[in-house]
Amino acid sequence: MNTFTALIKREILDGMNGYIRVPAILAALSVFLVVVSTIGFGATIEFDDVLVHGDDVNSFGEALEMARNSKEGPEQLPAAVTLSYWVMGGISWVALPFVVFFSLLSALYEERRDRSILFWKSMPVADWQEVLAKLVTPVVVAPLVFLGVAIAAQLLIAFFLSIVVLFQGGPMLEMWPLATMFGTWFFFVTHYAISTLWVLPLLAWVLFVSSYAGRLPFMWAVLPPAVIAAIEGILFKTTRFLEWFGIHAGGWQAFAYGHMDVDIDGPKDVLNLIFGGVQWDAFTYTVSSGQFWIGLVIAGGFVFGAIEQRKRAI
Amino acid sequence: MTEYVIEATGLAKSFGNFHALKGVNFKVPLGRILGVIGANGAGKTTMLNAVLGLSSFEGNLKVMGLDPSKDRDALMQDVCFIADVATLPKWMKVSEVLDYVEAVHPKFNRAKAMDFLSRTNVPLERKVRALSKGMTVQVHLAVVMSIDAKLLVLDEPTLGLDIIFRKQFYQSLLEEYFDEERTVIITTHQVEEVEHILSDVMFIKDGDIVLESDMDELTQKFIEVMVTPGKEEEAMKLGPIAKGSTFGKSTCVYKDIDRETLAKLGETRRLGLADIFVATMTGEA
Repeated sequence: MNTFTALIKREILDGMNGYIRVPAILAALSVFLVVVSTIGFGATIEFDDVLVHGDDVNSFGEALEMARNSKEGPEQLPAAVTLSYWVMGGISWVALPFVVFFSLLSALYEERRDRSILFWKSMPVADWQEVLAKLVTPVVVAPLVFLGVAIAAQLLIAFFLSIVVLFQGGPMLEMWPLATMFGTWFFFVTHYAISTLWVLPLLAWVLFVSSYAGRLPFMWAVLPPAVIAAIEGILFKTTRFLEWFGIHAGGWQAFAYGHMDVDIDGPKDVLNLIFGGVQWDAFTYTVSSGQFWIGLVIAGGFVFGAIEQRKRAI
Repeated sequence: MTEYVIEATGLAKSFGNFHALKGVNFKVPLGRILGVIGANGAGKTTMLNAVLGLSSFEGNLKVMGLDPSKDRDALMQDVCFIADVATLPKWMKVSEVLDYVEAVHPKFNRAKAMDFLSRTNVPLERKVRALSKGMTVQVHLAVVMSIDAKLLVLDEPTLGLDIIFRKQFYQSLLEEYFDEERTVIITTHQVEEVEHILSDVMFIKDGDIVLESDMDELTQKFIEVMVTPGKEEEAMKLGPIAKGSTFGKSTCVYKDIDRETLAKLGETRRLGLADIFVATMTGEA
């Protein structure tokens, strides 16, 4: 286990920009934008005689106070606040797919290109361990780092807005729906885990490309699927391959939740839909889907292929 | 019983129609410094890659009793190698290289590596990318010399380095690393620099081992005679493996002919390894 930890640590060091710097910078930018839009354009927190249900609302603090005291308040407010934190601190997620894709693409390619593979191979580390570390770091560790950074951003935003509310004499504690926030963090992890297993054949393909491409790994990763889709379209006038691709890339959710009776009435329902209620449906649909299991077998095949390539590579 | 580090029988490797290694047999015992010498493309690296588990091969090969093509990771507990001067990961800091090796290699002694590095000007917090070629080799050498391995393989370890550094490199290898519990295999083009530290040599030509010998024996085997004028015909009859001329006199190189017989033909001298190599490669074949 010590060896594997060292390999993961090495991968993070190697991909420091994508794994740490990019999410940290984007999260800092999120916080910065929130602060600037609050302080710089005071309009967002200081309203001029806005009438809500006949009451005067002059500031964010007052609005919060009013929301809390409304009939739906106690039920809806924590969800509304939590959702707004995800939205406000959410910029960094944009970078994650790129980080995952390009980390996998260079994982077994760069070491051959710069010949450092000869150094790695002079160490008592098996090729399967190397390949697994190069799969696990972008696919498992990177999103956890992104989540950690997002959580930090949410807490900073909460902290900042609490001060604003405090100055405006509003109910500061309403800015800390910790149980709800924690729930979303946890469900994010489980939902991400299921999504990752779905998309694994595509990710493993990229890793496999990185293990054999002599050069231009990007072309190798992108062209063959495009060519397969094009040939299928021309010969059979069908789009089965693209559909398969789309389902693994996230489209499976349409089937998993398709039967659900979606009835959104307030932020709580939105939050539940995204972070709670669908978990069980996602899980049951996934384990009963033949395509899901076939996808995992295909992913296993690509990973096996990457390990075999690594054994032969110098 | 002699303990062999490497035992190879019928070791072969082909790339398409090209036979890089043509079924060679050899054994390397513990406690030797073996020089593998051959022209470019003779098959040295192919042979060493097979030994190090870096490539597949045909035939039978055991390194420390293991099959390198299957058990490379287990083998690397006891085998170290520097395959090229520029294989250290360029994006790592020197200290990070040490951290990594310490974490994955049970036989790495960090204190020893730090001691080696403290005698150099290598800055630990600098990235390998920013080091000079000489410093990079110093780091790599500090790493491998701090691993308690039984076999160290150096494939052209000093390529492109300056002469002072090359001398120091072999000196520290001999004085601070080598002992009878280890074997070192070196391939190099700069034969003169290694010949005084080698205990054995192996000449490779076109995928075959053409000569295998220990150094003492080898230098006695090959004798060069500066033939006294008038005795040329006599000299030719003895079958020199190479001929040349120096200062207007003809010179002949002989293999396995005793010194006293040759002394009658003229002045004799021992050949250096480089000359023996050239004579073997150009003469007999």
